Amino acid sequence: MKTVALFFSLFLLTGCNSLQDNKSLYDDIGGIKTLDKVFGLSLHKIYKDPLLADKFKDVPKRHLRLMLTEQTCELIGGPCVYDGMSMSEAHSEAVVTEAEFYRLVEHVQKSMRQIGLSFQQENLILAKLAPLKEQIVYQVKD
Amino acid sequence: MRAQQRSVFAAICLLATIATPCLAGSRLLATGGISSFEGSAGGGITPWAMIAGYSSGEEIAATANVQVLDTGEYQLKTFGAAIGFYDRVELSVQRQTLDISSGVVSNVFNLLTAGAIDTAPGTQINQDIVGLKIRLAGDAVYATHWWQAQISAGLQYKKNRDFDTSLAISNGSVPLPGIGVPPLLGATKDKGTDFYLSASRLWLGGAWGNNVLANVTARMTKANTFGLLGFESATEEDYQLEWEGSLAILPSPSLAVGVEWRTQSNKLGGLAEEKTVTDFFIAYFPDKNWSLTAAYVDLGSLPFEKSATGFYLTATVNL
Repeated sequence: MKTVALFFSLFLLTGCNSLQDNKSLYDDIGGIKTLDKVFGLSLHKIYKDPLLADKFKDVPKRHLRLMLTEQTCELIGGPCVYDGMSMSEAHSEAVVTEAEFYRLVEHVQKSMRQIGLSFQQENLILAKLAPLKEQIVYQVKD
Repeated sequence: MRAQQRSVFAAICLLATIATPCLAGSRLLATGGISSFEGSAGGGITPWAMIAGYSSGEEIAATANVQVLDTGEYQLKTFGAAIGFYDRVELSVQRQTLDISSGVVSNVFNLLTAGAIDTAPGTQINQDIVGLKIRLAGDAVYATHWWQAQISAGLQYKKNRDFDTSLAISNGSVPLPGIGVPPLLGATKDKGTDFYLSASRLWLGGAWGNNVLANVTARMTKANTFGLLGFESATEEDYQLEWEGSLAILPSPSLAVGVEWRTQSNKLGGLAEEKTVTDFFIAYFPDKNWSLTAAYVDLGSLPFEKSATGFYLTATVNL
């Protein structure tokens, strides 16, 4: 029981601090250059994925890459300002299922690893993107 | 019964082998948890709000598991399967087999007969558990705010199959016909239903960039030592509220390390005194097909084993 309590207090002390600490994350990962590489590779995988390709066939890859990079840059404390569509607006034309969303996340995860980001950097970036799920999945109103 | 048990087990293994190469479910690695020793998806000793398997809102996924816990005098073997429907509903079945050593049974007779009988063979207690879990709200991984959690409600119907299995002594005779271990220790019912509410959250990058998982479960139960020693007692027929929790850190994509606890009310007293159960675990998720978990468990106290601790090993296969 003692070890349980110790473990728990350790988390309470340190856990929340690192949740907020994203000031250096943008610089830490190598800024816009790294993000651009990550999303370049992600989109390469996504556009090739038979389960996702159909959803993206009318979306210009180059534009999407720019939007994703800009948005993520802003979310992780970089000097960018995302001026694209809101997430629910951008996903109001074709339904994105949960399965498709998760698959997309896995492509981004894999790309971050291949580009050389650490598991910790990867998680901190995903933490900023994760809340967007509810504005992406099943946004089509009928 | 043993043969039947073995054939069910064989069927599960076969199914698992066939299904291993295919991926069912698209949720992220490790977010299905493992199979608890009662069959519900979660940690080792407590259910989580996560639905078994990796199913998304459009998918159905299944898991199968085998587990063993050895404290020396007691060995708990358990196996079962669960199906997760649309990341919303979970159905599970689990069979538990508790082997009780000859030493413990001998001690029981020694006590009952004031020393007249002091050797007896070991015995076995089997229990079946059918579980149902429903995700009520929230998303453990993709929540909008840091304080939000995934909330699920569940029940576990438990039937002790050896409530009235008599203990034999060394010459094969049965001094107390029709009385199994649970009533011998004071239990009055052979079945019961636990109800629980679980809140789980995985914080991406929650501790130094590592993912952190926390779960709290509140359980209403009438069980004595998880139901293995029956349900209720002559003096306690009401539901008791118990608290359970898990806290884990995921330092790599395939590893989770953490602690768990589970309170128990002491209804039978005497030999069957119950204490809080704790464990320390390491779970390995090589891919979405299977996981392996090793734990050091402190069960508090078991009859004639005052300090019952041991190693626990569980393999969960995703079908």
